Amino acid sequence: MNILLCCAAGMSTSLLVQRMEQAAREKGITAKIWAVSADEVKKHIGQADVLLLGPQVRYKLAEMKKEGDARGIPVDVIQAMDYGTLNGKNVLEFAMGLKK
Amino acid sequence: MGGFITFLENRVMPVAGRIAEQKHLQAIRDGIILTLPLLIIGSLFLIIGFLPIPGYNEFMSSTFGENWLTKLLYPVNATFDIMALIVSFGVAYRLAEKYKVDPLSAGAISVAAFLLATPYKTMFMPEGASAAVEVGGVIPVALMGSQGLFVAMLLAIISTEIYRKIIQKNIVITMPPGVPPAVSRSFVALIPAFVVLLVVWLLRILLENTSFESIHNIVSDLLAVPLNALGGSLIGAIIAVLLVHMLWAVGLHGAAIVGGVLGPIWLSLMDQNRAAFQANPNGELPNVITQQFFDLWIYAGGSGATLALVVLMLMRAKSQQMKNIGRLSIAPGLFNINEPVTFGMPIVMNPLLIIPFILAPVVLVIISYFAMATGLVAKPSGVAVPWTTPLIISGYLATGGKISGMVLQAFNFIVSLIIYYPFFRMWDKKKLAEEQTDSATQNSDHSLTM
Repeated sequence: MNILLCCAAGMSTSLLVQRMEQAAREKGITAKIWAVSADEVKKHIGQADVLLLGPQVRYKLAEMKKEGDARGIPVDVIQAMDYGTLNGKNVLEFAMGLKK
Repeated sequence: MGGFITFLENRVMPVAGRIAEQKHLQAIRDGIILTLPLLIIGSLFLIIGFLPIPGYNEFMSSTFGENWLTKLLYPVNATFDIMALIVSFGVAYRLAEKYKVDPLSAGAISVAAFLLATPYKTMFMPEGASAAVEVGGVIPVALMGSQGLFVAMLLAIISTEIYRKIIQKNIVITMPPGVPPAVSRSFVALIPAFVVLLVVWLLRILLENTSFESIHNIVSDLLAVPLNALGGSLIGAIIAVLLVHMLWAVGLHGAAIVGGVLGPIWLSLMDQNRAAFQANPNGELPNVITQQFFDLWIYAGGSGATLALVVLMLMRAKSQQMKNIGRLSIAPGLFNINEPVTFGMPIVMNPLLIIPFILAPVVLVIISYFAMATGLVAKPSGVAVPWTTPLIISGYLATGGKISGMVLQAFNFIVSLIIYYPFFRMWDKKKLAEEQTDSATQNSDHSLTM
């Protein structure tokens, strides 16, 4: 599955990407996970199955949801604590739960 | 303090959200981002041109010839000096994208509108002459750079608004059936482009008959000069920093939201310094407050100057949780990324840690402002050092190679360390107590099952 992450500059979400990839490997899941800045989301959302926002850009949720709904892609905000502690396993499970 | 957080959540956050989502401000911010890679590359050439090594100038002249500096700075002229031109295209492009109309046409029309507002003349001082003469038939480079920034942004918005309104009302030239679709598409932009240029043309003719003489002058007098004065003042900087950190206190990206509004001001202040620095690297620079002032002297480790806090966690933490956050945060923190601290420690929604998180940057703004305004420390030279550049290196580069820039960063780091220390101790103690009770209950559970 393809998981797209987004924050203001795509910097801090890229930290989380590494952790999520590691969690996916441990679970034996093939997943493409990548992070972009908020203004690049439109270019990438087409390839994603799920879009997750960093909590610091949660004010963009309404706008991003509109983009997601148009393509049938679930969009949600990552839990602040999972985000801060870079808990790749939890965020991966969260993303997979959204997809179902 | 709990009431303060509720106030931020209920009052500040919705307003900030609306501002951050405002189409035009978003387009301005995203359009300006287009210039940043160019400015960083231009800065690289600036830094090489003005390396503060004794005998450097003589060495370069003897190796590459007398005109080495002029030649080296060609890329600066094609990056910094066309900032407004790029912004004119970028803002229109991003705004058109949001309205789902053709962004490429909107960008092209916006550039034409911007140039239509610009008189094709410049002042030129011939060698040996006593007064400058006006030369026609040239695009004035000065107005293509930061001096033209506000005109470029305004016209990009006006022209794209006209463009999309006409397209959305479907007032276009319709071609008879049988004409290839590609041909009819090329006519679609015709009417809106005509209206845009007509409006700007009339505006220019009108203003040429007033004392303002040009669109550039009226925007500069009524908008750019007052905004720059406000954004470049100490009080303006304190208010900006307060807003940024109050937004972060509720977990919103304050720097992105506030920077979206004030970014153009800090960018043009930065470029004023750059022009002065390029003319004379050892001369007096006009502004203290620029984009780099915040990025490099205030936000060490990320918003809230949290690098000091991370170092405290690494060296002084007793609780396992703070030790872990410290280890997790130090590598990104060196590059001024601090989400593991703000969300992991957490600072967000944490009444205790919000106090130093807001206090430290405000104190640093005041210290840094006076250090630079009094001449004790070199001002930012207008070199666009990326905000991810680590401490000390960034202070050296951003002042055009002045040791004082590094010293102030080190001093600020110690100040933030002192401000964070008592709050860090309290929080660490609380976490440690929680961990001890947790393990105590686990032990008693264990004994029960035995």
